Amino acid sequence: MKRLTAMPALSDLPDLARRRATLALGLPLLLPAALQAAPGVDEPPPALLPRPLVLPTLHEAALANGLAVVVAPRPALPVVSITLLVRAGPEADPPGRPGVAAMTTTLWPKGALRGGRPVPAAELARQAEALGSALDARSSWGGSTLSMTVSSPRLEEALALMADVLRRPLLAADELERARAQALDGLRVTYGNPGEVAALALRRAFWGAVPHGAVAPPAAVQRLQRSDLQAFQALWVRPDRVALVLAGDVTPERAQALAQRLLGDWRAPANPAPSLPLAPPAPIDARLVLIDLPGAGQSGVAVAAPFVASGSADRRTALVANAVLGGGYSARLNQEVRIKRGLSYGAFGSAESFAPGGMFTAATQTNHPTAAQALQLLRGEIVRLADAPPSADELAARQATLVGSFARRLETTAGLSAVLVGQLAQGRPLADLAEHVPGLLAVTPAQVQAFARSHWTAGALRAVVVGDLAAAGAGLAAAAEPQALRLSIADLDLEQPGLRKPGR
Amino acid sequence: MPRSAMIAAVRSQREPDMSSLFTRRQGLALLGAATLPAWRTARAAPDAAAAPGVAPAPAGAASAVLRSNVPPITIAPLALRQRRLANGLQVVSVPTRNGATVSVQVWYRVGGKDDPAGRSGFAHLFEHMMFKRTKHMRDEMFDRLTEDVGGQNNAFTAEDMTAYQNEVPSNHLERLLWAEAERLAHLQVDQGNFDSERKVVIEELRERVLADPYGRLFNALPQHGFEQHPYRRPVIGSEADLNAATLGDVQRFHATYYRPDNAVLIVVGDFDPPQLDGWVDRYFGPLVAPAQPIPRVTTTEPARTADSRVTVKAPNVPLPAVALVWKGPPVAHADAPALEVASALLSAGDSSRLNEALVYNARAAQAAGFAAELYADAGLLAAYAIAASGQGLRKLEDALLTQIGALARGKVPVAEIDKVRTQLLTAALLSRQTPQGQADAIGRAVLLHGDAREADQRIARLQAVRVADVQRVLDQYVLRGRRVTIDYVQGAAA
Repeated sequence: MKRLTAMPALSDLPDLARRRATLALGLPLLLPAALQAAPGVDEPPPALLPRPLVLPTLHEAALANGLAVVVAPRPALPVVSITLLVRAGPEADPPGRPGVAAMTTTLWPKGALRGGRPVPAAELARQAEALGSALDARSSWGGSTLSMTVSSPRLEEALALMADVLRRPLLAADELERARAQALDGLRVTYGNPGEVAALALRRAFWGAVPHGAVAPPAAVQRLQRSDLQAFQALWVRPDRVALVLAGDVTPERAQALAQRLLGDWRAPANPAPSLPLAPPAPIDARLVLIDLPGAGQSGVAVAAPFVASGSADRRTALVANAVLGGGYSARLNQEVRIKRGLSYGAFGSAESFAPGGMFTAATQTNHPTAAQALQLLRGEIVRLADAPPSADELAARQATLVGSFARRLETTAGLSAVLVGQLAQGRPLADLAEHVPGLLAVTPAQVQAFARSHWTAGALRAVVVGDLAAAGAGLAAAAEPQALRLSIADLDLEQPGLRKPGR
Repeated sequence: MPRSAMIAAVRSQREPDMSSLFTRRQGLALLGAATLPAWRTARAAPDAAAAPGVAPAPAGAASAVLRSNVPPITIAPLALRQRRLANGLQVVSVPTRNGATVSVQVWYRVGGKDDPAGRSGFAHLFEHMMFKRTKHMRDEMFDRLTEDVGGQNNAFTAEDMTAYQNEVPSNHLERLLWAEAERLAHLQVDQGNFDSERKVVIEELRERVLADPYGRLFNALPQHGFEQHPYRRPVIGSEADLNAATLGDVQRFHATYYRPDNAVLIVVGDFDPPQLDGWVDRYFGPLVAPAQPIPRVTTTEPARTADSRVTVKAPNVPLPAVALVWKGPPVAHADAPALEVASALLSAGDSSRLNEALVYNARAAQAAGFAAELYADAGLLAAYAIAASGQGLRKLEDALLTQIGALARGKVPVAEIDKVRTQLLTAALLSRQTPQGQADAIGRAVLLHGDAREADQRIARLQAVRVADVQRVLDQYVLRGRRVTIDYVQGAAA
């Protein structure tokens, strides 16, 4: 197996507290005695020297059929997280058929051939849960995954089960009907939650009618055919599109042997997998979409802005810019919306990067009468970054937050596995992870400002507010927002370019 | 946010999910929407001496041999170090070999049950104020000491406890000890901060209870489940009571409950034990415990004498739901482990009885579950189901009762109880992966059982539960118990 370089030690974390402490120790010489602070009495004692984090070594290999095997050994506790990643997600849904990837993965654990015998859903669930873990199947942009986290004595049985489920799912017609009914009921619940509706509509408003803008509303779920799922399975679920990721109490040798035995006889089709017609964001014209959800308990407010594509050289600058605005409790969005004004329980940012482009999202929930103010604050903070770059202390704090958050994800086998799977799904080399922390720490305020100037302009923003518009009052009324697209939830159609049901 | 928070704990949202590397849920937004209310599993276990028929916990590792051909799963015991300072502060620490982080937590014996009269939600509102100013720390300085150096902080308020949970790079341990001692001793809340944070808490209530389509249902369970005990007031409180609170309430509450003899300091992770002990002596040793006794809730929850029914209406209920609520024992009762295992048999995973019968086979429910919510003084047992489209609530109620009856009185295959033992053991193992997870287990053990060793012993107790125990407790508390049936439907809220 190829042995990759270990990930970096995180010992060079920017350490504001240490800097301040050093400052405090040096200053008393210059200050009158009355102003001296005594560390450990009326100010915090100084921090000690940071300890390096020991991060797992990564091993990467491939089977003869092209299936990648990635192992991150961590023997501290007898647990192992197992993921089979298929490098295709909702972006691979056929045009006009959103929901195919998601429904295919939903049906993976709902019946499979094991040893030549069809094993129904209930029995598969019992088999998996007897090993201590749910059989977790989901489809995300760039990858669909099947995962379990089990105690290490159960590894072999778990991987055997997962291999059968991925390779030989029944995708049965009656299970499709059952899953369809459950998805439709699930959508009724989703459509009752203002924050969730806002997130869905915002994706559609920002990305527009391109693959990454597709969401699957009830009508799309109604249209799904078993043949759609079978076609997706045949086209994408093939060993040269699959990676096995193991994190935890397992050696590379054992992992390789298990992979060879359980997945080695899987043949890849001769023809290559198709390439996808991905496209950059094509935002809808309306800069603000107002969706009336009478009786909603709060308003969901969300604003989207352009973000970098996954291959961009500016990616880490963009991640730091995201952190300055919305990465953590103390970042600007939450400072303005929650800490300074008490308008919400929280306001945060998130970002996604894909091959054709990316989207930054700022989101919060607030009482209806303050929705207009929250919207103004989110928009304002995004645009303001171009003129108000972070100070050195602010930047160092947000970089530390990013690095610490990354380090905490590596604390658990499931978190470590998710980091590796994310890297693979985005088509990035695993060795790139070694550059992640130093790359984040190298970003400067000027780079953040330049990024904001080029990406986060007022005209590039799209926003959605979902709530009880009558209760929202004048701030969102037609007089205040004459250009807004206004819809009732009953008229919302997330498949239409204009978001409105035909004829409404 | 799991719905457990609705009845078990109100946690401050202080750290968002920052997983910007791979947003796993993006593509699932529509199809995975029907999340089952993932209630917190009761972390109940009785005192060993009071558990007839339950094997005593082994002195060493907890383990289970489930099938002879599979190696056992073992969990090494926590290397507990325990002290008590002269001022009454209890200190539990566990040095771990791996990692460069340390978890610093302070758990206080005060919770939602201690909310003053007419001030429901106050203990939780107060918890938010602990992140504001102290004599020597400016507003939000805890965030400077944690988040800004790559750590994190959070807190939660539950029925019986309030816990402050930090994790920092281990070279910052001494700073966190200083800061926790500082806010225990010298909190200084002003009117501006209080008014602003009260608004935040009211938005938190709106987000959890009003904006979530099922928030009002889960908020109603304790209100109807308990008859006398202050547990009947939801920890999140009511908007009117939150608005009635004053700065004087804050000062009284801090003086009454935030004292060293009402607190447990827990440190887990990368530290040097003698150095830790010296720092604890330095920063916490000088704190003084007031002479007056700490007030305690003494209300006894009576047994329910008759079944009753109630309808809860909300303006936005996509699918109606029903909940059946019985009274359960307190968390330290000998029956608690059997109720936790019963809960797992009924509702842990796709292969659980309620999911398989109501959601999968009958297609009557969108989600179904059972929870044993056991607190220090009393407990609730709740079965619930959210209807699938077109399904009636009476049919769901009957199906829930039928399934519980079948578990209580029918045959339970060995493989099924083995499955649940493995699920519980695996979950315990996973919670040991982080310093925060270990400290959390210790906090619950000390606060609810008075003994940090219970963090290990409860795992063994759960493994020792037999089918006969599960059937006896379900028969006693559920089948022969009185219940409240709560219908949750669309309509003008009361």
